[in-house]
Amino acid sequence: MNSVAVSSLTAPWADDSKVLADVGSVARQQLASAAKRIDEGYYPLDIMANLGQAGAYAGHLDQHGCRFGLSILTMSEISRHCGATGFMSWAHDVCGLYMEQSGNPALLARLDDHTAGRTFGGTGLSNPMKALTGIEKMALSAKKVAGGYRVSGTLPWVSHIGPGQYCGAVATVERGDGSRSHEIMFMLDLDERVNLRACPEFSGMEGTSTWAISLVDYFVSEDQMMADPARPFIQRIRGAFVLLQVGIAAGVIQGSIDSMRDVEPTLGHVNQYLHNRPDELQAEYDDLVNRALVLAETPYEGSKEYLLDVLDVRCQGAELSLKASQSALLHQGAKGYLMSAAAQRRIREAHFVAIVTPAIKHLRWEMAKQMREEVPA
Amino acid sequence: MSKEFPQWRQYLCRACGLIYDEEKGDPDSGLAPGTRFEDIPDDWECPLCGVTKTDFELFEKPVVTSIEQVTDFNREPGIVIVGAGLAGWAAVEAIRQLDQQVTITLISACQADLYHKPELSVAISRGLDKTALIQERGIDAARRLGVQLMSATFVVGVTAELNQLRTTRGSLTYTKLILAQGAKPALPKQLPPSLCWRVNDLNSWSAMQQALAQGPQSIAIVGAGMIGCEIAEDFIRAGHRVALLDRNELPLTGLLPPQAAKRLAESLMDLGVNYRGNSEINGIVEQANGTKRISFKGGDMLDVDHVLAATGLITDNRIARHAGLDFEQGIKVNPTTLQTSQPHIYALGDCISIQGTPCRFIEPIKHQAKSIAHAILEHDSRGYVHSDPVIRLKTRSLPVVMKGLPLSGIGWTLIHEDTDTLVMEQRIENQIVSHLKVGASSQTKAA
Repeated sequence: MNSVAVSSLTAPWADDSKVLADVGSVARQQLASAAKRIDEGYYPLDIMANLGQAGAYAGHLDQHGCRFGLSILTMSEISRHCGATGFMSWAHDVCGLYMEQSGNPALLARLDDHTAGRTFGGTGLSNPMKALTGIEKMALSAKKVAGGYRVSGTLPWVSHIGPGQYCGAVATVERGDGSRSHEIMFMLDLDERVNLRACPEFSGMEGTSTWAISLVDYFVSEDQMMADPARPFIQRIRGAFVLLQVGIAAGVIQGSIDSMRDVEPTLGHVNQYLHNRPDELQAEYDDLVNRALVLAETPYEGSKEYLLDVLDVRCQGAELSLKASQSALLHQGAKGYLMSAAAQRRIREAHFVAIVTPAIKHLRWEMAKQMREEVPA
Repeated sequence: MSKEFPQWRQYLCRACGLIYDEEKGDPDSGLAPGTRFEDIPDDWECPLCGVTKTDFELFEKPVVTSIEQVTDFNREPGIVIVGAGLAGWAAVEAIRQLDQQVTITLISACQADLYHKPELSVAISRGLDKTALIQERGIDAARRLGVQLMSATFVVGVTAELNQLRTTRGSLTYTKLILAQGAKPALPKQLPPSLCWRVNDLNSWSAMQQALAQGPQSIAIVGAGMIGCEIAEDFIRAGHRVALLDRNELPLTGLLPPQAAKRLAESLMDLGVNYRGNSEINGIVEQANGTKRISFKGGDMLDVDHVLAATGLITDNRIARHAGLDFEQGIKVNPTTLQTSQPHIYALGDCISIQGTPCRFIEPIKHQAKSIAHAILEHDSRGYVHSDPVIRLKTRSLPVVMKGLPLSGIGWTLIHEDTDTLVMEQRIENQIVSHLKVGASSQTKAA
């Protein structure tokens, strides 16, 4: 913990409970009422700016004390009222983490604006994370040129981006003969050189501003470089990347429990016949969050045991999101099935938590891989 | 279809996973059925995600090997047993003897096939392979005993307060949890896992057996404990060249008195084993030709085709740590009930420790299983009574039998000695602590 290093500029975010309370009140007062609109397509940069001002995007950064637990809890507060914004907050958080951990002065100079929600950017690491564990192929390729690299390819479905914004990205560097040399990770600035293509319509969370990014000989300068080579960097941040996602899940779960408790006075007499009652789910939620907060103390630990614990808690978050959102709709009944109801929206949010990279199936696949003993070939 | 007509091909969108099938085309965007991929215009876009032709690649259907499962995941898991070695199956059998109805779920990292583990250290010279060693397939035993088997499944976490077990095939809520996870090879850091065989389970043994089946080869066995000595003899009898390495001067240090250990070393050397005591390994590297070079402290080197680590076992503490179980060299259990420090969790076999000592022998397992079954199903029982098992070394050239576990710092009394046999005892105040017999009587030997 280097909370002593908190500068006077960021001092307003030094108090965990104040940050949580401020973020919670923005979420309740502004996000809750906008959630349906965001689900249908509204990209809430105005509200995210207010969340940034409240300190939602600072906690996990080294320069703000490496308080990953705080970031998970603020993300949960956001996701509790709007899963789409919770997801974008995660993307924003990890983008800030890339900028800071890169140590690149040019990126560090941009970090304060990012943290305060004055500029916005996401993460294009879904494909690389899968590529580096052998699930699929790397989408972007790069060629070394004077002063940097030229990158081409198409990155599908990157969220929380738009013209003038940015995201972290990874490309495989190819040698002259086309063979793979290594990977680079860089800040992809979405300027006039980049073609953003609209994605097909999703069944929910349409306000996440998700685009396909198409690059043709896009020049990456030294100022944009996050890691070269990228593998050791990604290896180092991988646990933190996955662990932060528990915040999205936690919010969906807590929101679902809230919905069940809302109808307890009027429907408790019949709801008692349902599985997965709010108190049971709350106990599971508490276990989940407590485990995540312990892991949040050492986000850059590199051991296999730690990574397994992170994958386990992330997987459990997804499974519990599904169970809780399903139960919340059953508890709410027809009222929860209305198009305007949070309960049915959360079912789709929970499915998103379960399929976004790393999806439940990827997590189990990776855990099984980690658990297998290495033997001679 | 004429012979010349090339097969229809399929192309995969690397961006979204959509498959373009030449046979079907993409009529919605004007590609008639039968449009070859190379004939698609360059400005054509993926109908799902909008990327262009260059982001498609030839799709060849991958071969998927999935595991045959007998689990109905919709059923309640009931009693959950982790580990399907001798201990896990013994627990299943013991429960089924008392109750044919109660739901049991058995979780196994492998296929849960039944085999007799002690056979692994004598099987190569008998020409056995995996198929010959399997007494019953796990899937068949599961049907016979009415067990839900989750094979090729790893346990990743437990929350005891919620009776929740998390696995790589989903989470289960157990009524009682029985841990029969076994122990795993303890590899010192000088022995890289990618270069050293271990033989603690059928699958790892089988991989090594297949490598050795290609003809006589040279093998260094690291660790002259019980397994190392047994396997050294097994390999020699199978026609391989064997070096048996140990840090101590003599094999089985700590178990055998020097007179007995010397006889064992000599007996192995008579068979042709190159026994090298006082061998401290610095490291192992693979040479360009595939052989492994072992370097010793002091500068010696040894090149061999294979290295087998027989450096002892440890209990993995992951499950215990998650479940908050007391742990000391193994999962601590109540010596009578085999209950762990959590009320709904029991443990048996190689993974437990009783009074701080692991007990990794076959004989006690069925008694432990019986005690757990009685406790879980609330049948009366006098419980498990722990006693030190008889240790028999399966070295045919020089059988070793030890009754009682020897204590360090207590002298050995010579009871009988001749060229074939050595009998010794440890005593405290005229009570026999341990009784050792090395070698067979000439009568037994002749037979």
